[in-house]
Amino acid sequence: MLNIKPIFSSLLRSKSGPVLLLVQIILSVAIVANASFIIHERLEMMQRDSGINEEEVLTFSVFNFDPSIDGEQQNKIDQQILRGLPNVQAATSTNMLPLSGSGWSSTLNLGPDPETAKSTPQFAMYLGTEHTVKTLGLKLIEGRNFYADEINKSVNDPGKLAIISKAFGEAVWPGESAVGKLLYVDDEQLEVIGVVEKFQGAWVDSDELEYSVIHNVDFAGYSYMVRAEPGQHEALQDAITKALMKENPNRVIDDFQSVAEVKKRSYRDHELMITVLSMMVVLLLLITSLGLTGMVMFNIQRRTKQIGTRRALGATKGDILSLFLVENYLICLSGGVLGASLAVLLGQQLMKYYDLPQLNLIYPLMTVVGMMLVTTVAVVLPARKAANISPAMATRSV
Amino acid sequence: MFLYYVDLAWRSIRKTPILSLLMVLAISVGIGITITTLNVYSMMAYNPAGERSEQLNAIQLWSQGPDSWDDFHRLVTYQDAMNLRKGNVAPAQAAMFRSGMAVQTDDPEVLPRLQGIRVTDGDFFKMFEVPFVYGNRWDKAVDLDPAYQAVIGEKLNQKLFGGENSVGKTIYLNRKPYQVVGVIGDWNPQPKYYDPTSGAFAKSEQIYIPFSLAANEEFSVWGNSSGWKHEPMNNYQDRLNSEKVWLEYWTYLPTPEDRAAYKNYLANYVEQQKELGRFTDNKSPVDSVLMSNVDGWLERSHVVPEDNKILVGLSALFLSVCLINILGLMLTKFLKRAPEVGVRRAIGASRGQIFSQYMVEVGVIGLFGGLVGLLWAWGALYALSARFGVAEGLTHLSMSMWLITPTIAVGTALLAGLYPAWVVCRTKPSVYLKSQ
Repeated sequence: MLNIKPIFSSLLRSKSGPVLLLVQIILSVAIVANASFIIHERLEMMQRDSGINEEEVLTFSVFNFDPSIDGEQQNKIDQQILRGLPNVQAATSTNMLPLSGSGWSSTLNLGPDPETAKSTPQFAMYLGTEHTVKTLGLKLIEGRNFYADEINKSVNDPGKLAIISKAFGEAVWPGESAVGKLLYVDDEQLEVIGVVEKFQGAWVDSDELEYSVIHNVDFAGYSYMVRAEPGQHEALQDAITKALMKENPNRVIDDFQSVAEVKKRSYRDHELMITVLSMMVVLLLLITSLGLTGMVMFNIQRRTKQIGTRRALGATKGDILSLFLVENYLICLSGGVLGASLAVLLGQQLMKYYDLPQLNLIYPLMTVVGMMLVTTVAVVLPARKAANISPAMATRSV
Repeated sequence: MFLYYVDLAWRSIRKTPILSLLMVLAISVGIGITITTLNVYSMMAYNPAGERSEQLNAIQLWSQGPDSWDDFHRLVTYQDAMNLRKGNVAPAQAAMFRSGMAVQTDDPEVLPRLQGIRVTDGDFFKMFEVPFVYGNRWDKAVDLDPAYQAVIGEKLNQKLFGGENSVGKTIYLNRKPYQVVGVIGDWNPQPKYYDPTSGAFAKSEQIYIPFSLAANEEFSVWGNSSGWKHEPMNNYQDRLNSEKVWLEYWTYLPTPEDRAAYKNYLANYVEQQKELGRFTDNKSPVDSVLMSNVDGWLERSHVVPEDNKILVGLSALFLSVCLINILGLMLTKFLKRAPEVGVRRAIGASRGQIFSQYMVEVGVIGLFGGLVGLLWAWGALYALSARFGVAEGLTHLSMSMWLITPTIAVGTALLAGLYPAWVVCRTKPSVYLKSQ
């Protein structure tokens, strides 16, 4: 019906053109499939929920450089001042910033004897106060928050408590409630009193990003986090600097940024990768379609007489159009199949040498479908020109 | 003859402007992407140590206990650093870490500013060939007997002292006076190979102070500290006595004999420490030490991210698609001109002449493509640094690219042109003469 057999045999006879197209399509499918897979994977990564109200949390650092400052005392006063500022909904000290790429990480034991006890996976070790949950906008789903009188001054103090992320609890005690469970540092114990639904750590590329623990320590003198409407952050920066400098001028207050900004910076390399790869995909499709158009034009020129003869023998314009379409679909499909296999091979190599997951088959498939579309557009325009070749051409110059 | 071919090529290009433009565009896009990724990659993979690469060796020790880390840590403990410093076997050596303090001067107008500080030994400047504008490193005696002295960078000197010779002046770090003994020039090796752990493409510090002060002054650590066992850290002394790793240790060992001897010395040192009850993992002393030259160190520090390797690979594939593309276009173009070739052959041009004429034409197109591609790459790199804040050192179009780009462009174009030119030069004159 579509005259595939004669088209196929004519393809076999004129080697160079179709072979070139075939190779080009094979390579394009392999590249586009892998690139779009990586793009999708990175996009998904960036869309993960951190559990934090990223836009509202403003973070900054306070560096007390006068040796005569009593850090602990100053920390208490500073937090009082912060909570007293207008528009501040909550404020707390912290030892590290979420999603920032730097901070404390640790493992703990599940029993008192370090020789025999199993240890937990690595987790982000936040030091925080009774205000941490509210400041970050975390959702407490089980247990309770710290009470004000439970907050320790140092990590070595007894009475160690923890609020953990749900993911961490599920990893350590699968199928059980984590509240009331004990973790150990040598023979000192740390009791889990609360679970938050989601709370990411600091390292966005880590497999343990979802594992976080908030430990009840008011960590003096590095970073602070306050919660306020995003629109008020700029005014708040000035207010905070002014209020804290008035309290004690011997310090540097710096690094104001929202958690959303911190997050954006941490994902910058992934965003870059997405941009470059997207650009590559678009350009590649463009180049391939240009190449296709060029090849079809070349074919038409070479076969002008043939087309004229066919027209003279009774072929309609539609027949000519479908001839070129079918011919190029054949090339595109076989190229697509080979290209998809190459894409899978390439994906396996990437997976072997680099930290990439297995290529999902949907990507080569989608790419082949996309290529068919591009082929249609690239072929129809010149082929319509071919269809307009007059039958009289056949009689000329024979 | 060559010039005549160039002239013919130019005419032929002008005769089919759209097709030629398509070809130039196809090459230029492929070249643009390839050069962009290649440029970033080559900047990242650059070894700033040059010929000293072999001679500078970072020391890594397997000080961890059994069942802890699976690999050598890039940092060493304070105890080990101090012991190696005391051993004083290498011709030059430096322990170091990154810290930070608030800087002030005698001028009350200068607001205190927080500055990253490198705490290291005096040999640092000699080992890493740091250029001095004024003054010099602190005296070697200071490395044993601490003194409050500092070397500052040109930029900071500009800000604090207006760029004049500040040797002998005082700066205050966390309110403590330090005497400036030297001002170093513009020195910012990228990657920052002497300490990639705190950002491989971070700028070099503007203040350097003696490592010998660390124990007394308890400088805060602005880099990594890692421990493989639980150790209470109630004060700075605990940190110094602990098995935590947080220091880089570099040695300068000019000859292979020096390096072999130093390795031997390290193995002996580990054996000694094993007797003292440290280095408890069951690894032989020789296997517990690792000396990496700069190349090896950059490799171990994963300075070039995997993403960049993937991008270079994909863009090379991309370029090959462009190559096949122009191959097809060129075939179209050349065969269109077959009648003309027929006439030239009939008048007496040899196959070789036709072939070289077309290769020249292809080469010219490739050269144009390369030039436009260089523009693309330049634009893309500019966009990268503007939009993504990629370190300036990485987005600067390297000089070598001015040579590499045309080479790749003309090379790929010639490669793509081989087949079409061969096809066209086999044209039989008779066929075309007949049909005219």
